[in-house]
Amino acid sequence: MLPEFEYIVPSNLLQACDFLRDHGSQAKIIAGGTDLVPNLRRGEVKPRYLLDISSLKELRQIEEASNKIRIGAACTHTQIAESLLLRSRGGILSEASSGVASRQIRNLGTVGGNIANASPAADTLPALMALNAQVEIVSKNHKRTLPLPEVVKGPYQTHLGPEELISCVIIDKIPEKAWYRFFRITRRKAMATARINGAVVLWRKNREGPIEEIRISVGSVTPIPCRMIAAENLLQGVVPSEGLIEQACSIVGQAMVASSGIRKSTDYKQPVVQTLVKRAIQDALRG
Amino acid sequence: MDKRSLMFKVNGIERILTVAPNRTLLQVLREDLKLTGTKLGCGIGECGACTVLMDGEPVNACLVMAVKAEGREILTIEGIGTRDDLHPLQEGFIEHGAVHCGFCTPGMIMAAKALLDRSPHPTIPEIKDALVGNLCRCTGYHQIIEAIQAVGKE
Repeated sequence: MLPEFEYIVPSNLLQACDFLRDHGSQAKIIAGGTDLVPNLRRGEVKPRYLLDISSLKELRQIEEASNKIRIGAACTHTQIAESLLLRSRGGILSEASSGVASRQIRNLGTVGGNIANASPAADTLPALMALNAQVEIVSKNHKRTLPLPEVVKGPYQTHLGPEELISCVIIDKIPEKAWYRFFRITRRKAMATARINGAVVLWRKNREGPIEEIRISVGSVTPIPCRMIAAENLLQGVVPSEGLIEQACSIVGQAMVASSGIRKSTDYKQPVVQTLVKRAIQDALRG
Repeated sequence: MDKRSLMFKVNGIERILTVAPNRTLLQVLREDLKLTGTKLGCGIGECGACTVLMDGEPVNACLVMAVKAEGREILTIEGIGTRDDLHPLQEGFIEHGAVHCGFCTPGMIMAAKALLDRSPHPTIPEIKDALVGNLCRCTGYHQIIEAIQAVGKE
C-alpha cells in the first residue's frame, strides 16, 4: 500500500508552476514514477501532493534549435532511444537511454526524472554531460538555465528549489561523423545498476588526423557523474598515440580516486575505469 | 484524500471507476476489475510479473498510478485470448513447456506480445533484450525464448 496523497494533473506548464509556488514544499513531482513509486512504497517520502507532469505536451517534445537539441523533461527513455534526430546528432544519449533497465521501465522513466533523482549511477547523466547538457529550470515567473553538473548537488540531491521543475534539457548537436561509445559494468548483464558507466564522444577531420574534439565522462564511481576535463585536454587537438591515450586514462583513474577517496573497491575500480575509457577511445578512433 | 473518477479502456471495454489517488494500476486491475492474471511480484518494477500494455507498450503496472491510466488503453493477459481460443503465444508457451509455476507467465507473454507487435520475426538477442525486465525463477528462460521464437517464425 502507498501512503495517502492528493494527485494533481495540471493541464499546462503554467498551472504546474502555479501549483508548485503554492504547495511546492509539500509536493513531489511525478513523471514516470520508476524511482518515486518505490520510494513511496518504502515510506521514504510522504508528500501531501503528487504533481503529475508526464502528460504536459510542452515537456514531451524533442526539437532542433540551431546547433542545439531541446529535449522535453518528460520524454521517456524509449522516446530518446528511438528519436532519429538524437540518434544521428546525439547518439551517445540514445545509446545510454536504450540500455536503461528494461523496456517496461524505459516506457515510463524520463530524462528529467533521471536528472532530478540524481543517482550517481544514472545512465543518462554521463551521456548528457558529454553533450554539454544545459538544464532549463522553470518556476512561476522565473526561468534559469544551468549546466547539468551545477544541477546535481550530490548523490540523490539537486539544487532545485521546491517551487522549481525541470522543463527541458538542451544538448549540443554533435557532428554526424562523431564517434561515440557508452560503456557500463554491472553485476549481471540485465536490470542491474551500473557499477561503472561513462561516455566517450570524439570527432576528427579525417581518420589519421588530430582529434578535433573529445569528451570523456564517467558515472557511478564518483558521487556525481562528471566530465574528465584534464584527460580531455591531453588529447584535444593532437594525433593520439597509444602512450598519450594511456596517460589520459590514468588521469581518469586518478581523478576518480581524488573525488571518491580510497575505498575497498578502488583496487578493482581504478584499473577497470581506466581500461573502459581506453577501450572506448580506441573503439571510437577505429570508428 | 479525494477519490477521483477514472475513465479508461481495459481489454477493449470502456470502464469508469472511482479510485483513490494512491492506488496503482495493478491494484485497480486486480482488486476492482478482478483481472488477477496480472501478478504482483516485487512491487518496484524489477520482476515484470505485473507487465501490461498501455497504448500498446509494456509497462510495470505496479509503478503506474491508476489515475495516470486516464484515457489510455490497457491490455492484460485476459484480453489477448480465451480458454477456447488461446493467443498464439499462449499456445506456444504450452507447447514448449515454457510455463512451470506460471507466476511470471502473464508478464512474459505481454512483454513478448509487445515485442512481436513491433518486430514480428525477432532474433534470439532481440527476444532476450525484450525480456530483460521479466524474471522467471523456474525455467531458466530457454523454453520461453524458444516459444517466442517459434511464434515469431509462424
